[in-house]
Amino acid sequence: MTHIERNSLRRRSFIVGASATGLAFGYVAANGIKDALAAQSFGPTAWYSIGPDGIVTVMVGKAEMGQHVSSTMCQIVAEELEADWSKVRIALPNNDPKYNDPMLGALITGGSWSTRMNFETMSRAGAAGRITLIEAGAGLLGVPVGECRASNGQVIHSKTGKKVSYAKIVADGKASKTWTPDELKAIKLKTPDQYKLVGVAVPQLDIPSKTNGTAKFGIDTMVPGMLYGRPVMPPVRYGATVKAVDETEARKVKGYVKAVTLDDKTGTTSGWIVAVATTYEGAKKAADALIVTYDKGPNANVSDQTIIDEAKKLQASDAAGQLFVSQGDPAAAIAGAAKTVEAEYLTSINIHAPLEPMNATAYEQGGVWHVHTGNQFASRTGGIAAAALGVDPKNLVLHQYFMGGGFGRRLDADMVIPAVLASKAVGKPVKLIYAREDDMAMDFTRPLTYQKVKAGVDADGKLVGLQHDVVCAWPTARWGIPEFLTPAVDKKGPLDGFTVNGADFWYTVPNHKVRAILNELAQRATPSGQLRSVAPGWTFWAVESLIDELAHAAGKDPVDYRLAMLDGAGNNAGGAKKLANALRTAAGRAGWGSVTLPKNTGMGIACVSSQERATATWTACAATVEVNPTSGAFEVKKLNVAMDLGTVINPDGVKAQIEGSTLWGMSLALFEQATLKNGALQATNFGDYTPMRMSEMPELDISIIANNDPPSGCGEPAVTVVAPAIANAIFNAVGVRVRSLPITQAAVRTALQAKKT
Amino acid sequence: MLTLTVNGQQKQVDVENDTPLLWVIREHLQMTGTKFGCGAGLCGACTVHLDGTAVRSCQTAARDAVGKKITTIEGLTVGGKPHPLQDAWIAEQVAQCGYCQSGQIMQAASLLATNRDPTKAEIVAHMDGNLCRCMTYGRIQKAIIRAAADIRAKSGA
Repeated sequence: MTHIERNSLRRRSFIVGASATGLAFGYVAANGIKDALAAQSFGPTAWYSIGPDGIVTVMVGKAEMGQHVSSTMCQIVAEELEADWSKVRIALPNNDPKYNDPMLGALITGGSWSTRMNFETMSRAGAAGRITLIEAGAGLLGVPVGECRASNGQVIHSKTGKKVSYAKIVADGKASKTWTPDELKAIKLKTPDQYKLVGVAVPQLDIPSKTNGTAKFGIDTMVPGMLYGRPVMPPVRYGATVKAVDETEARKVKGYVKAVTLDDKTGTTSGWIVAVATTYEGAKKAADALIVTYDKGPNANVSDQTIIDEAKKLQASDAAGQLFVSQGDPAAAIAGAAKTVEAEYLTSINIHAPLEPMNATAYEQGGVWHVHTGNQFASRTGGIAAAALGVDPKNLVLHQYFMGGGFGRRLDADMVIPAVLASKAVGKPVKLIYAREDDMAMDFTRPLTYQKVKAGVDADGKLVGLQHDVVCAWPTARWGIPEFLTPAVDKKGPLDGFTVNGADFWYTVPNHKVRAILNELAQRATPSGQLRSVAPGWTFWAVESLIDELAHAAGKDPVDYRLAMLDGAGNNAGGAKKLANALRTAAGRAGWGSVTLPKNTGMGIACVSSQERATATWTACAATVEVNPTSGAFEVKKLNVAMDLGTVINPDGVKAQIEGSTLWGMSLALFEQATLKNGALQATNFGDYTPMRMSEMPELDISIIANNDPPSGCGEPAVTVVAPAIANAIFNAVGVRVRSLPITQAAVRTALQAKKT
Repeated sequence: MLTLTVNGQQKQVDVENDTPLLWVIREHLQMTGTKFGCGAGLCGACTVHLDGTAVRSCQTAARDAVGKKITTIEGLTVGGKPHPLQDAWIAEQVAQCGYCQSGQIMQAASLLATNRDPTKAEIVAHMDGNLCRCMTYGRIQKAIIRAAADIRAKSGA
């Protein structure tokens, strides 16, 4: 996210003032203080408020999809605010720009950015609130401010022990203060030895409601008089148009209202229809009963192999693509190398399949459209909904909910389009729910990726030159937001950095080029999306497999080989040594080189700096895998994962994220594959798209390396490290290399047979 | 019009006989703790109890629930007292997105109703049909073991 223009907090003031429901605390643009102080525009909204009952409500602009980020944001504010954790509550804002992430300038959640980017802002917001409350509290106690401190929701006069609660200060109604940007900046934040909540595994605020059915997800929205809609999806992922709809049979369904053929001006969808009925079961029956004639459009002949063939053709052309990394002269270095290694790495199409299917509930009321749905990119999704309706975005409110899984799927906006257009067509509220089959068929997938690497090593086996080409659809370019693109180093225009992040690794390689190549055929046929970890999920598959191949070719230990390249020279100062430590930790915990493994069992290592170079979380994994040398069947026995993420806000929350993302990495590596055939994604439901089940879980050993560096993200990096560690373990077990994801028994068996002959 | 007994209360619902019980509970009765995940009996998010047995409500026709006791996640808390599994789910901080967890808890409750000291293998066998896309499986296992111990301790067994 280094290329997004960040709104500078230096231009923002922080104000504390009375509001309708207590005391409100929030950042405002420096020139907007007067306006903001007027009650109209400064409701109990931005950032947080305290009620006369002492309840602290933090407005969390980050999408809550299970990473407990809402609780984490509260924890950061509460630390500096000296709030009583039992009185802290989460509130979710709508898409009003006043709630935008101050760093990103939008309501967007992804990239494992949230904690890293909001830690200081939220800390200063909490601290400014505490100081304001101490001043007001001292006044109420009639004691000098300098003799007071705050703790656990109270202002305390240290000498006498006299106390006044935040609740009383709020009820008094006199606390008010405007902090200039300079004053805010001058606040001395706590040092780690003073932390009471940061670094403590306090209970996550969102969990209790998720054990008794009271947590509200978008799909739980109920609006009086609402109708229901189920989409009818075309027989290709993208490019179809509806020629005719026969409603004869659908009309026989009880409660059937109508079939709405979407005229989607945003181009997000193509060839979609919504069957509307008075009940969801009716909408579902009607959807099945509609007989639709389609023009399948230009992508009806595109399949996986078409995409791979096109990728190989593009990669073979020197004119294709743009450079993401260009250092030295790899072509010359490889030409003069003692030995060269070339390899192709592939990853399949993968789909998100969050357990809550896509859904949205929409209606118009008094000239304003309301859309209820859980979404990771409310700023864009609200805009898309408004564009689909042809209304001013100011007149569309997107109401936020907990998400039944996001994983990047809910960065997209498709689900709001059938909801708003169906509601407009029938003039009533419509709750639109994708059936699972609709959700899978129309996923914005992790793209199929093709990578070609060419490496040259010197007589000592040292990597002296590397060319790395990455060919795929460009998920982030599809958004059409220039700020999310990365300038090419060869000045050939912007590229989608979210297809090559990770390839700019922290190893010292003197001659190194990374080329990003857009596969336009794939881009048209399979609109792709951001799937948990995005690029590092495939770039490190190639890099960490290749590095292992080079280590073996040089007859060196794969851990030692990596450590030698993590020398911290030049641009790699700092980070490389942290990654080396994570690598040593995972290897050490696994007993690398010290344990005797059974026959046909191997240990593999990998280390990554996901997500982006500028936001790296230092992560390593040692995988222990047993392989049947005849059948190719294999079992992952254990994954040792080590992660250095600077300051840890909630150690148990971090551990939970590493557990989940590690298993995600293994699930993508072994169990999940979607194929494209005749322009259509073949996955239909959890019978043929099969994420890991409980019985498939290996033993996990997780090490968290916490220090006082700024916090970094933990929701995604482990996803990226597991696949190469497993492939490297399979090689160490039986001497065969698999270069395509997912790794299947058939692929291992084929490789074993090829080795024998 | 069908009469159903949900969490001890009689409910009249105007639905077709073949309407999946899931939609009756979620949309007609607006008890949204029971979740829709796949509509095909493949994920377990919609798990409820029929006469104490865990069933997939998306695969159960409304008419087949007539005359039986339907228990949903909302009915697992009795008299304001959470089920030991609900306490254990908090103690182990199981939920991530939380969407599958109603179904997970209902599925686990049917195990503990007949087996107060399940082995890990028994837990895996009983729970394997319940998908957790956040993959909180390790914590689910721990919470079930914790709840089972809690139930045994309270009963003096």
